[in-house]
Amino acid sequence: MRHTKTKILIPLLVLLTITTLSLTARDMEFNGMLRDHIAYTFEDSEFAVHEQTLDLTLAGWGENTSIVVNPTIYMGDNQKLELGIREAYVDFYLEDADIRIGKQAIIWGEAEGAFITDLVSPRDMRSFILADFKEIRKGVPAIKVDYYKDAFTFEGIWVAKFIPTSMPDQSSMWAKQPGLPGANPAFLANAEFKLAMPEQTLHNSELFGKVSHFGSKANWALMGGYAFTDEPYISKVTPAASPAKTIIDQEHGRYIMGGGSLSTSVGPTVLRLEAAAYFNKPFTSMPSGPASAAVEKHHQVQSLAGLDWSMWGTQMSTQYILGFVHDHHDNLVDQGKLLKEVSHTFTFRVQKSFFADRLAAKLFTYVEADPLNALIRGSLAWTIEDGVVLEGGLDLFTGDSEGTFGSYKDNSLAWMALRWYF
Amino acid sequence: MKNNNLKRMATSVAIALIALLSLSAAYSGEEVMQAVYTRDSGNNMSATLVMTLTNSRGSTRERSIQQFRQNDAGGEKKIMFFLAPSDVKDTSFLSYSYSDGRSDDQWIYLPALKRTKRVAGDKKNESFMGSDFTYDDMGTRHPSADTHKVLRTEMIDGRKCLVVESIPKEAKPTYAKTLAWVVEDEWIGLKKEFYLPNGKVGKKLEISSYEKTDGVWVITDMTMSNMDKGSSTRIQMLDVSFNNDLKESVFTERQMKIGPRI
Repeated sequence: MRHTKTKILIPLLVLLTITTLSLTARDMEFNGMLRDHIAYTFEDSEFAVHEQTLDLTLAGWGENTSIVVNPTIYMGDNQKLELGIREAYVDFYLEDADIRIGKQAIIWGEAEGAFITDLVSPRDMRSFILADFKEIRKGVPAIKVDYYKDAFTFEGIWVAKFIPTSMPDQSSMWAKQPGLPGANPAFLANAEFKLAMPEQTLHNSELFGKVSHFGSKANWALMGGYAFTDEPYISKVTPAASPAKTIIDQEHGRYIMGGGSLSTSVGPTVLRLEAAAYFNKPFTSMPSGPASAAVEKHHQVQSLAGLDWSMWGTQMSTQYILGFVHDHHDNLVDQGKLLKEVSHTFTFRVQKSFFADRLAAKLFTYVEADPLNALIRGSLAWTIEDGVVLEGGLDLFTGDSEGTFGSYKDNSLAWMALRWYF
Repeated sequence: MKNNNLKRMATSVAIALIALLSLSAAYSGEEVMQAVYTRDSGNNMSATLVMTLTNSRGSTRERSIQQFRQNDAGGEKKIMFFLAPSDVKDTSFLSYSYSDGRSDDQWIYLPALKRTKRVAGDKKNESFMGSDFTYDDMGTRHPSADTHKVLRTEMIDGRKCLVVESIPKEAKPTYAKTLAWVVEDEWIGLKKEFYLPNGKVGKKLEISSYEKTDGVWVITDMTMSNMDKGSSTRIQMLDVSFNNDLKESVFTERQMKIGPRI
């Protein structure tokens, strides 16, 4: 494992160093953001989160190249420093093409706060979905080639090494035990979870492709990918044989994704559409109870229709997300919950600035229809002076505790953050 | 004495009438504003805008934008790269305006999201980056959107200006009318007042500096004062150049992501 990491890291570092040296060094920039964030949970009446984040960006430009390195330093409640590099890549600019090599976050689609075709970069879910969007998206070691022809862009991506979604630590308030619905809690508590990661071979790399058009009438894209499931699923349960524990195996499996997205102006509004089909996506199935868990492959469709408009200086947006599982039955499991054949989710956003953009108010809400549950996120951001922003907000989880958001009912919180951009 | 006064008054009225007649014979309001609209502004332009926002308490904030504009028969393409402050750095804004009267197309690239979003609605009357300028003020309003009338001539800094009253045709305009002071034969505005429906001046635009660069008249220093809020915004145009060798690819999504390195 360590050997493979070194294999990938060394060429990357060499490449970055060579490019840095080859840059004329006349054009380098360094900027970043320092943030102190504190959150108070209502259920426990305690300051459950107090963390500091330093997010740096070093960028340099040569004649036809550029380099970006984005290191992060994070300190959470455990007072342990976490160092990371979110992105570190080199861009090569050709006449009709751009090539990006290195660790990079790649964002696709038209959805806001939802992931339909946006499956290239995995997510950092350690704070559920409450972190800044930039922080939710993880970089992947990849080579991305964009070829431009008139208003069309042809994009090809090779992700050399599969990177999974980061799940919360078991000590985190956001942790969810990977579960099997209906299983006796004691059965799970005494079980040993074993996660098998795909071997880091060429065979296990991921491939994505996209054709997009940028134009006056509409922006549209068609895309596809051969990927691994970013979140693991339970693949097998080996019942306890005294004195051994029950073994619950988890893995990441292959599937093919095909989809498209479109945005266009309709009068004073912007219509956004996005849909993806996941072919033969692996899910956990429990044909005769939790102990019989096995893998079953199904086609799945996720689609979204969204509308953005502006009224009296207020920006508004709404989205409807429809999920459908083909050949569904009642024993399918996804992320520890029974998978529904059809799911309906709505989002609403209202945003307005006051006092010459010094004060920004925002409300973003997710509503899951069945069972009815929601996440309501309201925030105010006050720009004290250029680059210094004081923020405060409420993240309220409500509704049925079987729902995605309702299950975090006890985590409703009020938060404050001070950001300093430099 | 009374007779003399009457004679003088009659002479003044006659001169004013002749002047008015000759003026209206020379230029109609539409002609003046059309001349302003079609004044040579180069095939393209690049500049750095430094915007200083001052609120009613006198505290200031500064924004810096690199801007490129290209005109062709179809209309105008404009791309803006936000350079400062640091929290909006690398954000870019692309707009296509059409000479056939179609609504503008606008996109914003948000670096934190790494995503280009089509911008909803007509932002013409909304504040540009929290300033006292609207998107409409930053662009070129088509003369057909208003009815125009030349009211009088006035001298500003030794230059003869035609004072043109423009009344919007739209149903519920933000301002009931504007008065623009346009330099005769150069067709550049030196002053503009925006009148509220109650007849008071809501905003006032004053030009402190303008010059001819690459054969094109360009305003290089202007201040918009908002009488209601007591705020003002000064825009200084630096490093202005016209008729550069700009490629069509500058006004694309690709360039929005790359940034202002053309």
